[in-house]
Amino acid sequence: MVRYYCTAGNGMESFLVEEVKKKLAARDVHQIPGKVLFSSSATIHRVCDLKAAERLFLLLKQDSPVGMSTHTSPAKTASVLRSRLLGDRRQWLSAVMTWSRLQGELAASRNAVTASTTHGVREKGRGSERQSDEGKNCRQESRKRSHSFTAEESDEKRQRGREQIRRHALELDKDDDVRESEEVCATYSKKELEQNVESCSKNMDDLGEDAPLESVENVSFRINCKCSGSLSRCVGAQEVSKVIGAGLSKLLGWKADLKNPKLEISVFLSDDYCLLGIPLTRLPLANRSYIKSTGLRSTIAWAMASLAQIQPGFCVVDPMCGVGTILIEAAKEHKAACFLGVDIDDGQLQKADENIAFAELQSRVHLLKASSKALPLPSASVDAVVCDLPFGRKFSTRVNMADNLPLILGEMERVLCVGGTMVVLLSPQLSCLLKKLLSQTHSGPKGNKEDESQTFSSLRHQTTLRVSLGAIDGLIHKYIKTPD
Amino acid sequence: MIPKLEWSALVQAADQLGHREDLPGELVPDYEKNEDFLKKVHRVLLEVEVIEGSLQCPESGREFPISKGIPNMLLNEDEA
Repeated sequence: MVRYYCTAGNGMESFLVEEVKKKLAARDVHQIPGKVLFSSSATIHRVCDLKAAERLFLLLKQDSPVGMSTHTSPAKTASVLRSRLLGDRRQWLSAVMTWSRLQGELAASRNAVTASTTHGVREKGRGSERQSDEGKNCRQESRKRSHSFTAEESDEKRQRGREQIRRHALELDKDDDVRESEEVCATYSKKELEQNVESCSKNMDDLGEDAPLESVENVSFRINCKCSGSLSRCVGAQEVSKVIGAGLSKLLGWKADLKNPKLEISVFLSDDYCLLGIPLTRLPLANRSYIKSTGLRSTIAWAMASLAQIQPGFCVVDPMCGVGTILIEAAKEHKAACFLGVDIDDGQLQKADENIAFAELQSRVHLLKASSKALPLPSASVDAVVCDLPFGRKFSTRVNMADNLPLILGEMERVLCVGGTMVVLLSPQLSCLLKKLLSQTHSGPKGNKEDESQTFSSLRHQTTLRVSLGAIDGLIHKYIKTPD
Repeated sequence: MIPKLEWSALVQAADQLGHREDLPGELVPDYEKNEDFLKKVHRVLLEVEVIEGSLQCPESGREFPISKGIPNMLLNEDEA
C-alpha cells in the first residue's frame, strides 16, 4: 500500500476522489483544495492512468501547518522548519527507496508498451534493452554493476539505497535544455516514449551502455516549494527551500543541484497543512500520450464524459467537437460505446481526424461536417450529447453565440432520446443565458400564438459544476431529457 | 448496436459500394448468437470505409459529398 497525492484543477477534486475510489480501490481518501491524497496497492501503471488528475506525487510527509508568525526571527523560522519538516533519515530513505521501486515498475511497464506499440515511438533498440535491464536490476538488490565512485560512507544500507537511486537517476538523465523551476526532471514516464515531444527526448547515445559512471557522492536534489495563505507572508518559498535544502544535505549527505537534479522534492505549506512529496512522473498525467492536438484540457473533457454516464452500446454525439478531445477521452474510457463528432470547420475536423487515428479509435469515433443548428440526425436517436460550447461571443462572423444558443440547444434536445443526458460546458456569461432559456416554461395558455419564445420543456436540470480552465472558469451543466 | 441500425439502409449502402458480399437482405432471427452473421456485420460496419464518395438522401435525392472519410452535410441557406 503506497500513499500518493495528486494535484487537481479547481473543481476537479470530487471527480478525482470518485475516480481513485473506483479504479484504484483507494483507501483513506482525503480531499483538500487542489489536491487529493489517497493510499492504494494498485500497480503504478494503473495509478498513472488516472484521468482527472494533474500531477502525481509519492507522499513523503503530511502534517498540521507549520506554525509561524510574521514576527518570528529568521533563525527561529529556520529551526521551526527543520524540526517540522525534516524528520528522521530513515523516513526519507525509505520514501526514496519506494520511489525507486516505483520508477523501476514504471520502466518495466513502459517496455511492455514499447514492444506492442507500432507507431509514434522513437526509441533505439539498444536503449530499450538497457532500460529493461535497469528495471530488473533495480528491483533486485544486486550490486553486480561496477560503479566507480568515491565511497566515503561505510554505511552499507545507505550505499545500497544510493546506488539504486543513482541507477534510476542515470537512466533518467536528459539532454533537456528547458528547465523550469517547477519541472520534475528525475522521472521518465511511458508517456514520454509514446509522445514525440522534442523537449523530452532522451538521447540514449550519450548515456551509452558501458560508459563509466561519474563519481557521484550524493544524490542530487532540488526543492520545489510553494507557500500559500497568510503563511506566505511569514516565510517565503525561497527561504524554505534554502533551509530544507541545507538540512537535507546535512541529514542525508545529499547534494543540492538546481539545474539538473536526480530527485525533486515538492514542499507545499499552507495555513491548513504542510505536504511533502516526490513527483512520480516528469509530465503531468493530464498530458495524454494518445492525443496529438489538444483543445479542451483533457481532464475536463474526461470529467464531462463521466457525467454523461455512458453505457455500453450508447451512441454519443458532440455537435461542436473541434479537435475531438471530449470524444477521445470518452471513447478511451467507455470502450463499448460509439461516438460521433460534428463540426462546421474543415481545419478542426482535419485535426480531429488525425487525433482519432493517432488514438486508434477509428472504428468507434466518426466525424461529420455539419452545423450544430441543423444536425443531420433523426430525432430521439442519441443517448448522450456532450459538448464544449465556444466561449467567445462570436459564433460566426455575422451572428453571435447568444443568438444561436436557443437553436443549438433545440437541436441537442431534439436528437436526444428520452432518458438521454446532455452535458455542456459554457462560459459563466453564457451559463446565465442557458439557465434562463431552460427554465422557461410555457407562458400563457396553449395555442397562444403570440408566445414565440422557444421552450425546452423536456430538459430537466441535474447539476451545475464550476471548473477552472486555467485563466478563466467554466461551468459544466448536466440535463436529462424527460418525456414531454 | 444492431437494433439501432436501419438494416435495409445498411444493406443497400453496402450493395452500392460493391461490398455487400453475402450480407442477408433481412435480419435473421437470433442473430446475436450467429457467429458467422456477426462477422459479416463487423466487416461491413468497421472494415469498409468510404473515403471519397457521396451520400444520397433517398427522399430528396440530394447528394452529400464525402471527402477524406468525412461526409459534408451542411445545408445551403435555401435548404435549411
